[in-house]
Amino acid sequence: MKREGWFAPYVSSYFWRFVLIIVLGALTVFSASSLMYTSGFLISKASIPPENILMIYVPIVGVRTFGTSRAVIHYVERLVGHDTILRILSKMRVRLYHILEPQALFLSSRFRTGDILGMLADDIEYLQNVYLRTVFPSIIALLLYGAAVIALGTFDLTFALLMGLYILVLVVVLPLVSLLFTQRRQREVKQERNRLYQKLTDAVLGMGDWMISGRQSQFVATYEADERKVARTDGWLRGWARLRMFIGQAIVGIGVLSMLYWAAGQYADGAIAGTLIAAFVLVVFPLADAFLPVSEAVEKIPQYRNSLERLSGVEDRDGAPTQGAEVKQNGQGTRAVSAGVLEVAPVAGGRTETLDEVRTQSAGIAKIKVTVAGRDISTTTGQAGNEGHSQHDIAIQTHIRLENVGYRYGADDDWSVRDLSLDLPQGKKIAIIGRSGAGKSTLLKVIQGVIQPTEGSAEINGRAAASYGEDIPSLIAVLNQRPHLFDTTVANNIRLGNPQASEEEICAAGALAKLDSLISSLPEGYNTPVREAGQRFSGGERQRIALARILLQNTPVVVLDEPTVGLDPRTERELLATMFQAMAGKSLVWVTHHLVGAELMDEVIFMENGTVEMRGTHAELLEKEPRYRRLYELDRPVEFLG
Amino acid sequence: MDKNLLGYKGVKPVFLIVGFLTLVQSLSILLLAKWLAEVVSALFAGAPLKEQWGTSLLFLLAFLVRHVCALLMSRVSYRFAEATGRSMRQQMMDKLFQLGPRLAGDRGTGTLVTLVLEGVTKFRTYLELIIPRMVGMSVTPLMLLVYVYTQDTTSGVILTVTMPIIIAFMILIGMTARKQMDRQLKSYRTLSNHFVDSLRGLETLKFLGRSRSHSESIAHVSDRYRSATMRTLRVAFLSSFALDFFTMLSVASVAVSLGLRLVNEQMTLVTGLTILILAPEYFLPVRLVGADFHATLDGKEAGEAMKSIIDRETVQAVKLTASGAGQGVAEKGAASGAVAGNVSSAGRVGGAGRAGTNRTAGTTLVGQPSSASDFAWTNGAILQLNGVGVKYEEGGLSSLEGVSLRFAGAAKIGIIGESGAGKSTLVDILGGFLHPTSGSITVGASTFSSLTDEAWRKQTAYIPQRPYIFSGTLADNVRFYYPEASMEEVRRVIGEAGLSRLVDSLPNGLEEMIGGGGRSLSGGQEQRVALARALLSSRPIMLLDEPTAHLDIETEYELKETMLPLFAGKLVFLATHRLHWMVDMDLIVVMKQGQVAETGTHQELIARKGAYYELIQSQLEGIH
Repeated sequence: MKREGWFAPYVSSYFWRFVLIIVLGALTVFSASSLMYTSGFLISKASIPPENILMIYVPIVGVRTFGTSRAVIHYVERLVGHDTILRILSKMRVRLYHILEPQALFLSSRFRTGDILGMLADDIEYLQNVYLRTVFPSIIALLLYGAAVIALGTFDLTFALLMGLYILVLVVVLPLVSLLFTQRRQREVKQERNRLYQKLTDAVLGMGDWMISGRQSQFVATYEADERKVARTDGWLRGWARLRMFIGQAIVGIGVLSMLYWAAGQYADGAIAGTLIAAFVLVVFPLADAFLPVSEAVEKIPQYRNSLERLSGVEDRDGAPTQGAEVKQNGQGTRAVSAGVLEVAPVAGGRTETLDEVRTQSAGIAKIKVTVAGRDISTTTGQAGNEGHSQHDIAIQTHIRLENVGYRYGADDDWSVRDLSLDLPQGKKIAIIGRSGAGKSTLLKVIQGVIQPTEGSAEINGRAAASYGEDIPSLIAVLNQRPHLFDTTVANNIRLGNPQASEEEICAAGALAKLDSLISSLPEGYNTPVREAGQRFSGGERQRIALARILLQNTPVVVLDEPTVGLDPRTERELLATMFQAMAGKSLVWVTHHLVGAELMDEVIFMENGTVEMRGTHAELLEKEPRYRRLYELDRPVEFLG
Repeated sequence: MDKNLLGYKGVKPVFLIVGFLTLVQSLSILLLAKWLAEVVSALFAGAPLKEQWGTSLLFLLAFLVRHVCALLMSRVSYRFAEATGRSMRQQMMDKLFQLGPRLAGDRGTGTLVTLVLEGVTKFRTYLELIIPRMVGMSVTPLMLLVYVYTQDTTSGVILTVTMPIIIAFMILIGMTARKQMDRQLKSYRTLSNHFVDSLRGLETLKFLGRSRSHSESIAHVSDRYRSATMRTLRVAFLSSFALDFFTMLSVASVAVSLGLRLVNEQMTLVTGLTILILAPEYFLPVRLVGADFHATLDGKEAGEAMKSIIDRETVQAVKLTASGAGQGVAEKGAASGAVAGNVSSAGRVGGAGRAGTNRTAGTTLVGQPSSASDFAWTNGAILQLNGVGVKYEEGGLSSLEGVSLRFAGAAKIGIIGESGAGKSTLVDILGGFLHPTSGSITVGASTFSSLTDEAWRKQTAYIPQRPYIFSGTLADNVRFYYPEASMEEVRRVIGEAGLSRLVDSLPNGLEEMIGGGGRSLSGGQEQRVALARALLSSRPIMLLDEPTAHLDIETEYELKETMLPLFAGKLVFLATHRLHWMVDMDLIVVMKQGQVAETGTHQELIARKGAYYELIQSQLEGIH
């Protein structure tokens, strides 16, 4: 059933192209067969005593035509085929994207993101073979099968049925037997190879460990043993393929013989002209070339299944928590708000709306006045480095409130977050710290409205955070541990924050993120390509580019999700300094693994097992909590200060 | 075609067998054509069918022999390809583990893994195809052609002339296609990667509020990709078009010329039919080569890539002298002020000079391979680096230069410095992953060119930033260095490493599956597993490379509390940029730009107000 989901729609929308490809494919084989047929006819005819060049004129033209047309038709067929497949590929990509897009924020918890996404992309590429290697050749073979049997049937029905039986073995029986025979083993090989892939990747990553353990030869030995197991199954499959090929050829041989026998009989009976004996016998070979590969085409089916299963697997989880029931109820509101956001009221600076004002408005049509302040960033162009300049850029006052929020993924699960309250008026800066699994990411998701709290409420400007839906990015920007840099120029990467931004605005954002010296060291400045996944740059540099991007996005609230993990202390410090400087006036939710910079925050929250373990300002915690003091000393050891 | 081909083990018998089979096959093709033609023309001439049974069966026999030969050839070459592919893989795996983690870092883990798995498969396909194709190309057309000449010169000439035309056109078109590919390769690559790139960046797009509108860009780019691909394919497909076109044209010309001569009674029907049947067979080997061209090319390249790894030189640790350690075989301008200072301070750490007692006075065994006992590390032995340097390229910058250090017996050594200062390179030298390009290393009584020796590594426990957790039970992971350890011992070290609580919470306890496919552990837990591993092995030397920098501060604190007492009685090297560890170290080595800037205890270095002091100052500055 699922298979139809990835096949049927394309068949119907490209129906005539498919027909064309199949007709062309059939014509290719037809030309090749006709060449041999007419050739056989030609030389037989030519050898008949009352010779006359005019008698064989027509077959000569036929031979020449078929000789040249095969190549031309085949060329056109391949071009049309590939063009169609690439069109389908493009549609499939868009479709996969549409499936994945709504669940974007849950993907990372479900898969090892990079790997699986790469695999899905490969799967789609792979599916093009379904058409090119399996569907088209099989249909063409079936078509020719029908045509051949009908053509023979006009001479002799019984013999046509006999030949039909032979070809049936080639086109149906052998492929099915082959499929049944090899299916399990093929799957085994595939799974086994995936395991090997995993095992080897692990080992290469842990190569240092293996070397130190002194057991690397043991690893190589077990790995080789596994490989040998796969090789055995693989060898079996290859052996079968060879045997199958031979069986097929043997059937062709018997077919030729039967044809010979029949044609001779017909000739003796005077039913056919003698010139046709050679023609009939010779045509068997090129026709067989169309029937023999069907087994191989059909045998490939199990290989596609994996890809299809993976693709359908993604589709099944379409109902990820994003589309929670409560959110859907608010759907109307969301749409109304998006209208509201578009209704841009250019009010620069100042507190445009208070919480109360928002509340007085009817819930659905909360009209958020957005100075889509990216346009206003030009005010900073000339004054980069001027303290407090960003104050002007905060167009909307955003107040985030969490009251006794609790969240768990299922009714029987443990609470990921429990009893958490948070008040974040515009401009407040909080740091959140806790070990992995303490509930930090759940908390962030609640703030972004990606998930609806199971208990309590999460509101932005008095409205449920979850009801903002797609409009959250105009309020909250996120900088996480590994922001993705797209394979384009630096400028284009930054521009993603605001596609309408001018060159100057991009440079201004870059200046705020202190990219200047880096950019001037690049061969083409802002127009330098970042290479795949930003490989050209170091971790700290990548973060700065991403920072410029979210500065251009210019939201009143910024979430920093451990942006400095993996950076060395100097880079960490410098990056944090730049970030905090550039974000003056914005509200900040900063999840951090170190305490460097905690003193600059208005509140520090320690989370453990989903609840708040301690909270307060840096100074308070330092004074009250010995535990906090102890941890802080790891970042700034007191011994060193003395 | 490939000069490596003749170098593979057992390739000659394969060539002989395939050659023989090809001869038999070509012969059977000749015979089947002849017999089939005879039967057809006899029947055509009105001979009764009954008399033709013998020849018909002979035809079937020849036909079957031909395909049996094909089957056997494919089988022989598959066997050979399998064996050669396997030995290639084994050699490469061995080499990979000799070259160590540095290569994986340079080449990328993914690339290496793909090379081992996919590369070997491709290479195997190449070997499997290339031998029969090469032999087939050189034997079959020639034999058939000679036979055709003996029967009919005109047809022979037509066939002879076509072959070079086909080959010339294929090469010409292939080159044009390649040129066109190269011209747009860059934009082509970007276009084809665009989709994966978009999926990988989906989260980021979502955060930026651009994810919805981006689907248009996917459709758009896919479309551009399609037109770019089609432009290339139009040219690329021309080569198979040329092949098809000229073969078919040639066959057609042969048929027509045969027909014309038959009309003029210059030839018999049998000959005409035989030649007509043979004409497509004459071109078949070329067409097969054309069809498998890309598969063979890929495989050849994969084979070359593997060979380049296998042929890499690995420098083995060589025993230079058996003289004592105390002499300080200082080299190559290593005796800078800082180093002179450090030797004295290092001497203070352990009971130095003991190694001198085992000195085999004056025996100089230059270039002698090391034996296992040479690296034996006893408490109180001496490890000395003599002017060790690492330079990856001739004339390039040194990653490490003139490092002379001396350690004795159990001690905790902190290695600190900024990124790029040479910490990791030094750790790689100490762990025996990397052979220095200059200098020597003295262990106990003997001096070696490096520590890259199994015997040395077996005394070392290694805890990197991301320890290797393989797919298996927790207990097996802990027993990694020491698989024979009993369960009690495992339980003991699990307790010492602070993993008992985790084990209690696991449904299967120590038998819980972890790693790929099993339960995933947090960063801190992974470190603890590595720690338990190190403890179980009771290896005297411990090497830690940035063990806590990526962890949250609480986990880091707890891990430090667990680790410090366990360092007792071992020689521990801890490379980090987290300053807080340094207070607990017996000796601190401060690295700067690939050199040892200074060494000493925390107090000494603070008092000196040198590089260490600067490092602290820069880190203790607040954020402003």
